[in-house]
Amino acid sequence: MIVNVFTLVMLFIALLSFSLGGYLFYATLKTLLHFKTNISLETKSRFEEKGYLIFLLACVVLSVRMFAWPWFYFMLQSFVSEVPGAMCIFGVTRILPDTVTFLQIIKPVSFFIMGGWLLCYYVDKSIPTSPLARKNLLFLLPICGVLLADSTGDIYYIIRMKPLMSVSCCATFFDTPLRPSAMIPQALFGRDFEQALFIVFYSTNITLIILLFTTLSRKWQSLAPMPRNIILYSQVVIAVVNIPIVIISFFENIGPTLMQLPLHHCIYCFMGKGIVPDAPVILGLFAIGTFAIGWMGIIRLICRNGETQPVTERLLRKVNGLSAFCLSAFITMVTIHLFLI
Amino acid sequence: MTKTFWIGIIIVLIVSVMGVCYQKYLSSNHCAYDGCAVTAIYEVDIVLKDSSVKKFCSLYCATQWFKKNIQVVDHVIVTDEIRGNKIDSYMAYFVESDLITNKSNNNRIHAFQQRQHAQTHAKKFKGSAVDDPFEIDE
Repeated sequence: MIVNVFTLVMLFIALLSFSLGGYLFYATLKTLLHFKTNISLETKSRFEEKGYLIFLLACVVLSVRMFAWPWFYFMLQSFVSEVPGAMCIFGVTRILPDTVTFLQIIKPVSFFIMGGWLLCYYVDKSIPTSPLARKNLLFLLPICGVLLADSTGDIYYIIRMKPLMSVSCCATFFDTPLRPSAMIPQALFGRDFEQALFIVFYSTNITLIILLFTTLSRKWQSLAPMPRNIILYSQVVIAVVNIPIVIISFFENIGPTLMQLPLHHCIYCFMGKGIVPDAPVILGLFAIGTFAIGWMGIIRLICRNGETQPVTERLLRKVNGLSAFCLSAFITMVTIHLFLI
Repeated sequence: MTKTFWIGIIIVLIVSVMGVCYQKYLSSNHCAYDGCAVTAIYEVDIVLKDSSVKKFCSLYCATQWFKKNIQVVDHVIVTDEIRGNKIDSYMAYFVESDLITNKSNNNRIHAFQQRQHAQTHAKKFKGSAVDDPFEIDE
C-alpha cells in the first residue's frame, strides 16, 4: 500500500461508502419487502420516518461516492513518482491492470446512475405525497450493488497496490502504429484519417448541441408527439455514438495537438501532467454534458407520474440546459485551444 | 438562452484562453519527448536546422528523440551536472553509471564539462565512459 493523502482520503471514502452502502442495501430491501399500500396511520408515520432516513443516507453516500471518480485519478497521478518506470498514469495502470480497468469502467457508470437517482429523488422530494418513493427505493437497490462493488474495488486496489515492479512508459503502448485508437479510424477512413475524424467529431457534437437547443426552444411544447420522440431518441443515440468518437479523437487528434506533442497519443499525459492545464475541465464538461442526456432519459423513465409532471418538466429543462451548456462549453474550449495553440 | 448560460460561456472562454496562454508563455519547460517537467541541471537542448530549440528532461529522452529526427538536428547542447554550464555535446564527457537522474525513464547517462569530474563520478557510482550519443555523421 502506498500511503499518502490521496490514498488515505480514498480509503476513508471507500470504507465509509462500503459500510453505509451495506446498511443502505439492507434497509432498502427491508423497507421494500414491508411496503404496503393500505396501512394504518401509526405505521405510515413510522414508515415515513424510516424512509426519510434511508433517502438521507442514500443522498450522503451517493454524493460522497460521486466525488470518488475524479479523486481516483488524483490518486493515480500521485502514484506516478512511486512506480519505477512510470511517466504518467498509464504506467501506474500497469500494476494490477485488471483491477484498475474495472475501477476505470465502474466509476463513470456509478457516477452516472447515482446522478440519475439523485435527480429522481429531487422530483420525489418536491411533492409532499412522495409518489415516487417505491420506484426510487427499487432503483436504489442496483445502485447499492454498484456502490458496494465500486467501494470493494477501491479498498482492494489501495491495499494491494505495491510499486514493486518496473513498468513501461506510455509511449511504448500509445505511440506504436498498431495502437487500437488508430486502427478503428484507419479501418473506416483510410490511412490519412485525421481530417475525416475531425469532421466527424465536430459534426456529431454540433448536431447533438442543436438537438439539445431544439428541446429547449419555445416551439418544442407545440410539437406533435411523433417528431418530439424522434428528436429525443436521436439525442440519446447521437450521445452514445459521440462517446467513442470523442474518445478516439482525443487519442488521435485533439490530445496530441493540444499537448503540442504531435507524435504522443497518451490521454493520461493529456489530462494528468498539467501540459494542458484546463484538460480536466474540458473532459469534465464532456462527461457531464453526455451524462445529463442519460439523466434526462432516467427522469423520463422513472418520474412518469401525473402528480410529478410539472416538477419533472421543470427539472428536465434544467438538465437539458445543463447538457447543452456543458457540450457547448466543451466544444468552445477545444476549438479555442486548436485555434490559439 | 438565459443570462446564466452566456455568463458560463464567457467564463469558459476566459479559462481556455488563460490555459492556452499558460501553455504558450508560462510553461515552456516541458520535455518535448515525454512532456515531463524539465529540471535545469539535466536539461538537454536540441537545436534544429531552422534554429528552433527542443528541450528535454534527460539524456535518455533527448537520445530517443534524436534517433528519430537526426536529419533535422543542427547541434545538441547538454548541461554539465557539476556547474550547470551549457555545453555542446561534442565537448562533453558522458558517463553511464548506477546513479539515476530521472526515475521515470531510468536515465543513467550523465554529462560533464571536465574529464576529471566524469572520472570521479564514474569511480563513485560504478560507471564507465560512453560515446557522445548525439554524434552526427557528416
